[in-house]
Amino acid sequence: MAKYVVTGTYVTLNGDDISGNTARAELVINAAEIDTTDFGSNGFTEIIGGLKSGQVTLDFHNDFGAGGISTLLSDLVGTIGTVTINPTGSAVSSTNPTWTAPVMVSSFTPVAGAVGDLATFSVTFPTTGEITYATA
Amino acid sequence: MSLDIQNIRDAIATNLATISGLRTSGDVPDNPNPPHAVVFLETVEYDDAFRGGLTTLMMKVMVIVSRADDRTAQRKLNQYISPDGARSIKSAVESDRSLGGLVQTLRLTDMTSLGSTIVSDQEYMAVEFSVAVYA
Repeated sequence: MAKYVVTGTYVTLNGDDISGNTARAELVINAAEIDTTDFGSNGFTEIIGGLKSGQVTLDFHNDFGAGGISTLLSDLVGTIGTVTINPTGSAVSSTNPTWTAPVMVSSFTPVAGAVGDLATFSVTFPTTGEITYATA
Repeated sequence: MSLDIQNIRDAIATNLATISGLRTSGDVPDNPNPPHAVVFLETVEYDDAFRGGLTTLMMKVMVIVSRADDRTAQRKLNQYISPDGARSIKSAVESDRSLGGLVQTLRLTDMTSLGSTIVSDQEYMAVEFSVAVYA
């Protein structure tokens, strides 16, 4: 795969395609930094990787219609959901993997926006459990 | 939903036709018959959501009136420019924001110019409005 412009990203939440209401998607995976600095570190700090964690950030266009994103999220706050993100929306492959992240739907902003603006809102969900990616 | 620009222009013209006595077109006419509102496309912004989920169209509505009597023309334009009232262009355009389900929503955002214009060698008074259409 070559460099690409983000237009066709395929995003699902609990199996529902929410791509058409999503303007930005971000999955971050972190590893805790465990300090292993000792007298043999020659004056530098040393670290090793600890437990991994992650978070999913999504920017939405608000929609309270039947099956709309806001209707969908209203019932999920406080529950564990599954977000999948495929970078290009084309066939899953080693160069276009689909990431799957169990997330805690910890917040929802049903009302946001200034006068005259398109109604939008953003969410950031912490991941819970293993984040995986599929290449086929 | 499939985006049909001509249908969108025609639907905005249909909304405008709720103003009594105002002729409307979704196409630019060769010979307008004032007072006449014409809807045309100005710009299109693609990919406002993933997978074609949102396209933003900026439309123009130009309303021309006869300037045979300047005072009458200005008073008529003032009524069209008003944000509300029976002859308000904004109220008429936004009378059905989904255009019968053709688009997600729309908003008449600005009146962008007011002055005289020449169409087919004839001088008219004209006012232009911008309409943001989210489809």
